[in-house]
Amino acid sequence: MTKSKLTEIRWHGRGGQGAVTSAELVAQAAIGEGKYAQAFPSFSPERRGAPVMAFNRINPDEPIRTRAEVDQPDVVLIMDPNLLSILDATSGLKEGGTVIINTKKSVEQVRKDFGISARLALVDANTIAQETLGVLIVNTTMIGAMIKATGVISSESIKEPFEKRFGRLAERNIKALERAVEETKIGEWLEMAKAKTKEKPGTKGELSWKEIEIGCFITKPGNSVEIKTGDWKSRRPEFDFDKCNKCTLCYFFCPEGCIAKTKDGYFEADLFYCKGCGICATECPKDAITMVEEAK
Amino acid sequence: MTKREGLEVSIAVADAAMLSDVDVVSAYPITPQTHIVEHLAELVANGELKAAYIPVESEHSAMSACLGASAIGARTFTATASQGLELMHEVLYVASAMRFPIVMAVANRALSAPISIWGDHSDVMATRDVGWIQIFVENGQEAVDNVICAFRMGEDKRVLLPVMIHLDGFVLTHVIEPIELPDKKDVDRFLPPFKYPLPLDPEKPVTMGAFGQPFIYTEVKWAQEINLEKSKDVILEVWQEFGKAFGRQYSPIEQYQTDGAKVLLLTMGSYSETAMVAVDKMRNDGKEVGLLKLRLWRPFPYEELRESIKSAEILIVLDRAISFGGPGGPVCSEVKAALYGGEKQPKVVGFVGGLGGRDITMSGFEEMINRGIEIARTGSKREFEIYGVRE
Ligand code: SF4
Ligand code: SF4
Repeated sequence: MTKSKLTEIRWHGRGGQGAVTSAELVAQAAIGEGKYAQAFPSFSPERRGAPVMAFNRINPDEPIRTRAEVDQPDVVLIMDPNLLSILDATSGLKEGGTVIINTKKSVEQVRKDFGISARLALVDANTIAQETLGVLIVNTTMIGAMIKATGVISSESIKEPFEKRFGRLAERNIKALERAVEETKIGEWLEMAKAKTKEKPGTKGELSWKEIEIGCFITKPGNSVEIKTGDWKSRRPEFDFDKCNKCTLCYFFCPEGCIAKTKDGYFEADLFYCKGCGICATECPKDAITMVEEAK
Repeated sequence: MTKREGLEVSIAVADAAMLSDVDVVSAYPITPQTHIVEHLAELVANGELKAAYIPVESEHSAMSACLGASAIGARTFTATASQGLELMHEVLYVASAMRFPIVMAVANRALSAPISIWGDHSDVMATRDVGWIQIFVENGQEAVDNVICAFRMGEDKRVLLPVMIHLDGFVLTHVIEPIELPDKKDVDRFLPPFKYPLPLDPEKPVTMGAFGQPFIYTEVKWAQEINLEKSKDVILEVWQEFGKAFGRQYSPIEQYQTDGAKVLLLTMGSYSETAMVAVDKMRNDGKEVGLLKLRLWRPFPYEELRESIKSAEILIVLDRAISFGGPGGPVCSEVKAALYGGEKQPKVVGFVGGLGGRDITMSGFEEMINRGIEIARTGSKREFEIYGVRE
């Protein structure tokens, strides 16, 4: 069998972070280089903050036929470091594949904290995005890290798609990308690392057709309380009781209904459900709520 | 002892629903179903039938109201025809997937355009895949009996599926003929009260019609398919029980004069009766001709079909609908598929006829059978032929 020149990429981000846009821009750049490429999202209900996936396939010579989701990637991108604690970044990763992570941590630290022995490419995309763009949108920075780590497209060919997409803002995004190309640190594939097969459906305790309730009814209603919507947040509210005047506005405005009164009459968010929208901080008349980055 | 009365079939169908103690009726009138639902409205209005009658603004709403009624565990009945059945279309899938044993009489009628209020099976065939149990009847007595059976089949805990009873518009619905309405006491004994296992109940809430993501949808659909396939056992059981209780026996494919028949004609619905007369005549003339009457359309009776064609050399199938641009008649193409690859296959010849209320007379059937035999021997330039079209 000849070795396929196909590169398969899986993006993990959160709704609103631009994972889908990243994949689209990468595909456009590759197509601009005369290659064959595709980009598509994991089709699911759109929710800002919820974990989302997007996919790329790039082949320099042959048209791409497969339309299924990428389950054996060569490259995995993690746009939000908090996702590492809720998903397996290396699931299905091919032998020699690369995991690219937006993190401030060192290669050693990431290996230690998350047990990833695959090839790593780490970039502090939050800092670069904040300093270069003035906003915490890391998609273009992550493309830079990918160019550095894989060379699957060039920094030159991405410029045109950036200009078309971002107009006046293209220049700053190109700057962010170029900084990422420079600053991305690489940790090579370790001896011990093994390619991982993706779990087959049904192996995670999912129901067989024989176990489905009549009409697919849910006989335990209200089970949404078990869903940790708190996983969606990238920022969390911190309440300063010294400033709080107990006006209850945050309690009423929280769309998640996750703010409750404490014993002493102050207010606090239940971080299991808080989605990090920041509405409470905006509405608080005493500036008693500060949104801080979820650092992990 | 019950006795035969001269009744309009539509009225008798409504009476059968009343004898079955329906709790809710929701319907929108459409020709030729109108007399069924009008009579039910009368029965409710004059207090003879203790049920809620929900008048609605369309068939889509009628079926939606039926979903709600069935969800709380009410025995639910409706009726429609033609364009009305098509307007319900998307809701029909919900009824079967949510496993609500609604019973619906369909007064089979052609589809527009041109507007035709007369009978054929175009409306049924467009709802072939909606996941309901579907039964064809050929006379008023069968309509009455099968409405009563339908509740017991659908409500059986092993089944929990909606049931359509197909009766030809006008040719059946508007005919006055001798019908024996069973005694209420006997029906009560045959048909136990409906107990839906997971009804909507504020004390014990359930979620119905939730979101089905790709990881679960396939499993749900497979469970539904297996459930419909397996319902055949219960259908047979119910017909058998009905036979014991009332002396009239039904089966998925009924055979008429098939002993030693080399040529078989397969029909559905009321035209089967005229076809029987034609078969009798041809038998008298010494021709080895027999008739198969397909009563159970869904779940499709594969074994019974294969069993019933064993000694036949030619099988002629009459469809009363066209699958446009396709293999001709939907019934014929399913029959062919069911027999394909079998050890002994008859030559299958497809006809489409009886569209939009066009009669097929006794001699018409004879002509069709003779032409079918000719096609089987010498072939035809077409996949199927249409009967009785003017050149
Ligand atoms: S950020 Fe504030 S308003 Fe938003 S979900 Fe969390 S607690 Fe509620
Ligand atoms: S809105 Fe601010 S001041 Fe008012 S209760 Fe909430 S935290 Fe306290």
